[in-house]
Amino acid sequence: MLSYFSNPQRFDRLARTLIPVFGSLTVVLLGVGGWLALLGSPPDYQQGETIRIMYVHVPAAYMAMALYAALAVASFVYFVWRHALADTAAEIIAPIGALFTVLALFTGSLWGKPMWGTWWEWDARMTSVLVLLLVYLGYMALRAALEDAQQAARTGAVLAMAGIVNLVIVKFSVDWWSSLHQPASLIRLDGPTIHASQLWPLVIMILAYSFLAGWLVLYRLRSQALRRRARALQRQRDQAARQREEAVS
Amino acid sequence: MSALGAILAREARLAWAGGGGPAGPAAFFLGAITLAPLAIGPAADLLVAVGPGIMGFAALLSVLQSADRLFGDDHVDGTAELYLLSGVSLPGLVLAKVLGQASATLWPLPVIGLFGALMYGVPVLPACVGALALLAAIPALSLIAGFAGALAAGVRRSGLLIALIATPMMVPVLIFAAGAGRSALAGDERALANLLLTIAVSLATAALAPFGIVAAVRSRMG
Repeated sequence: MLSYFSNPQRFDRLARTLIPVFGSLTVVLLGVGGWLALLGSPPDYQQGETIRIMYVHVPAAYMAMALYAALAVASFVYFVWRHALADTAAEIIAPIGALFTVLALFTGSLWGKPMWGTWWEWDARMTSVLVLLLVYLGYMALRAALEDAQQAARTGAVLAMAGIVNLVIVKFSVDWWSSLHQPASLIRLDGPTIHASQLWPLVIMILAYSFLAGWLVLYRLRSQALRRRARALQRQRDQAARQREEAVS
Repeated sequence: MSALGAILAREARLAWAGGGGPAGPAAFFLGAITLAPLAIGPAADLLVAVGPGIMGFAALLSVLQSADRLFGDDHVDGTAELYLLSGVSLPGLVLAKVLGQASATLWPLPVIGLFGALMYGVPVLPACVGALALLAAIPALSLIAGFAGALAAGVRRSGLLIALIATPMMVPVLIFAAGAGRSALAGDERALANLLLTIAVSLATAALAPFGIVAAVRSRMG
């Protein structure tokens, strides 16, 4: 299946059908989910209206992690099978994932202020997400620093795969650190299982974010593939022109 | 085995000849722990509390400080290509290389860490535990720095890039190494657990990182 879709033309056809589907699903789901989250669901019995931040925060945090997993899988596929499309996917997933990570940190901070009374709490989960942002930034910086495209692709793949091993260890070590570091005074959000009136908007928002990410990735992947093809055609034309000039002279 | 020994010795000699051996990281470490109290303030109880943590943090920074030399020079002058052609087991080779440089340049870190902790007012026993944890952390720190250095070998201003790549990877070892000193200071029985976890991270890094470094070196070859 991997090699089936690594054919650029086949991918282009698939992307051309999926992009509008994902786009319209994103718009519809964001609309419905946004209405449910902001107006159509009751305020929380403990957190009041601030619970509405959850509907934009939790999906962003989820996408930040899911996109890093996608980045690592794409890197693995590139590293093993050398499909150029997988590398392009890894390259464009990184900034999108980093953006969702920033969004998760930012909305988390806005939620933390009224709930915990502080913009930032060095608890295990927030710290891991901050480390995740650093991993994204390091990946993008490394790719940007390497001029040779193939070296950037291979080196980036090695780093992305090492990053996923690292993130797992970071998760455990940060849990250990925060249990050593802090008394159990943290106001935890887990508590009772989430009520259906809040679950539905959340599920819809998570779906909306997922389709948004899929839409962005496919759109940029297709643009990148087209750009690559345009460059190749340009090069061919230049070469043909040069040959003609040489023939004339 | 003799090839690996030769590489280890070469790295150690190079570190002494070209970069002043342990002087660079040691001076950096000393500078960092001298500046920290000036920024934090001279309050004695505060300095005791942050002492073990500052030692771990500053030691991490001074490992990063020399990381660009390890694979950068070899990448630029073609030694890395010769290593790939040499037929010596590559993971063993890079392990010998990193540990060779680390043993030549990083041995002052636990010593300075011990005296630094005492200067911050940390009692003798926690200071010793902290220094031991630093010693246990050096293999992990230098291998991670080596991995980042191999990825960014020969890039202009690679130091910044190495710091950005290595920082998230050093999170676990920093937590355990600094945690050993901190919990020893608090009289917590978790000091031993932290020390053992630091050793565990170092051993796991020694088992995994050489393969990552080899993949990184290969990926940078044309």
